[in-house]
Amino acid sequence: MAIAEHAPETISRRRRFLKLPVGVSLALGWLGLMIVVAFGAELLTPYSFTALDLKARLSPPLLMGGSLAHPLGTDELGRDVLSRLIVSIRMSLLIALFGTIIAASLGTALGFLAAHFRGKVEQLVLMAIDFQASMPFMIIALSVLAFFGNNLVLFIALMGFHSWERYARIARGLTLAANEQGYAAAVRQLGAGPGRIYGLHILPNIASTLIVSMTLTFPEIILLESGLSFLGLGVQPPLTSLGNMVGYGREYITRAPWIMLAPASAIVVTTLSISLLGDWLRDRLDPTLR
Amino acid sequence: MLTFVISRLLRAGLTILFVMTFAFIVLRLSGDPALLIMSVDAPPEAVAAFREAWGLNRPIWEQYFSYIGHAFTGDFGKSMRDGRPAIDLVMERVPATLAITMPALALKIGLGIPAGIYAALHRNSMADRLTMAASVAGFTMPSFVLALLLVLVFAVQLGWLPASGSGSLDHAILPIITLGTGGAAIMARFTRSAMLEVLGQPYIRAASAKGVNWHRVVSRHALPNAAIPTVTIVGFMVGSLVAGAVVVESVFAWPGIGRLLVSAVANRDLAVVQAILMVIATWMVAANFTVDLAYGWLDPRVRNATAH
Repeated sequence: MAIAEHAPETISRRRRFLKLPVGVSLALGWLGLMIVVAFGAELLTPYSFTALDLKARLSPPLLMGGSLAHPLGTDELGRDVLSRLIVSIRMSLLIALFGTIIAASLGTALGFLAAHFRGKVEQLVLMAIDFQASMPFMIIALSVLAFFGNNLVLFIALMGFHSWERYARIARGLTLAANEQGYAAAVRQLGAGPGRIYGLHILPNIASTLIVSMTLTFPEIILLESGLSFLGLGVQPPLTSLGNMVGYGREYITRAPWIMLAPASAIVVTTLSISLLGDWLRDRLDPTLR
Repeated sequence: MLTFVISRLLRAGLTILFVMTFAFIVLRLSGDPALLIMSVDAPPEAVAAFREAWGLNRPIWEQYFSYIGHAFTGDFGKSMRDGRPAIDLVMERVPATLAITMPALALKIGLGIPAGIYAALHRNSMADRLTMAASVAGFTMPSFVLALLLVLVFAVQLGWLPASGSGSLDHAILPIITLGTGGAAIMARFTRSAMLEVLGQPYIRAASAKGVNWHRVVSRHALPNAAIPTVTIVGFMVGSLVAGAVVVESVFAWPGIGRLLVSAVANRDLAVVQAILMVIATWMVAANFTVDLAYGWLDPRVRNATAH
């Protein structure tokens, strides 16, 4: 029904899809670059990110009169800022990627469970959603870190709990709506099991809304991770992430602002790009959210 | 209206109980508190004495109820750092946090709501585009980056304001601006979309068609209806004031709850963390409760929906 009604629109919509606004193209370009950097980190770093160069401590970047040897300058121990930046980008993107995937899978699964079983299961899921939504996640994350201590696996898992409730809500609501529609009932009548109905029929139909939510979660996790790492409670040295670098650079803000400016701009440009892309995707894929 | 208030109160109480249970479970999951607090090589008699003193050798449900009972009287145990009651440590930090978060909230509301209304009424104008651009920046700029940029400009380059610390009015300016501007941008975005939503409704067109003058349409028909979603955001911002201050207080070495939380987490001072968790949860719940009441007051549909 819904598809038939919109059929004449699809052609013009596809045409619009191909014509990218300048901002979105720039955002896509930047994100492409970030992905290349994340995957090719080993090949791209001019130095090891922990290598010390004590003779060239706090050397300024090229733009501020530095040398080609360290294009983005060095930090207080003479470590190359560019190399650290590349490794940090990979770390931050990896955490955000895993966090987003965990949150989306967990939330969607719980939303399906709630919509499938209704009754007590649904009440339980709804209560958990209310609880999660009523506490700022930053506080939950901080208390979990306080109680459990910190390691990278726990930290990534913790990021995966960020905003799962958004997916649970969307998945539950859309599944309830889908169950009312003909197609889910038709497949059920044909004898398909719940796994098949949810995985092959309902999930593809609600995927666009979930993907749009992922473009919200991803930058949120980058910001959360970098905030916690900035406070010294996230990624622990010798590993490094963007927030971590800003946190260390803060102490040299008067003498060597570049240590902090490079990762800070990477955070801002990346989250900005994803948000622009997400806004644009939302307009294209999911007119209901506008 | 009374059933409405009572049902919301019950819900608020339940949320607080939830948070306390969460803290209890997480704390017990994280390992033996006796071994956590005392060193690993402490003599077994000392560990046993500690368990006895804290009731850790009692059945788990008994511990749970005594924990809840103590929590309701504000007793969260003593800070492991300086042995003072945790709740006192937290409470004496509250005024400092409010001193920067309240002006920041005023900034968010005073700047964000008028900007959002103006942008909606002048859609696609230059002012609208600027507001939207600022709101995207407000969303994507982490507070610590904004804070450090402000420090770089106003403290390091210009030397007008102190970079961190507390004690004078000057010290509070940068934290307030950091907290306020990001929130104002978000506020403006929400107000704008709430206004646009309302302005597209048939009753606005009907009022204009009837010949009601536009100022009156906006002030009498559009604004009260747009106020409902806006109140939600204001409530959410009030609720997350303390949480939002965590990072900013740490950057500016401002002696509030947020900074206490960060140091308590770093030192694993669990009693203090629990006390802060409860204070923030109570604050959030109170804010949500107020929003619910405001809803009932603003929107007769909400208050009557629960009456029958």
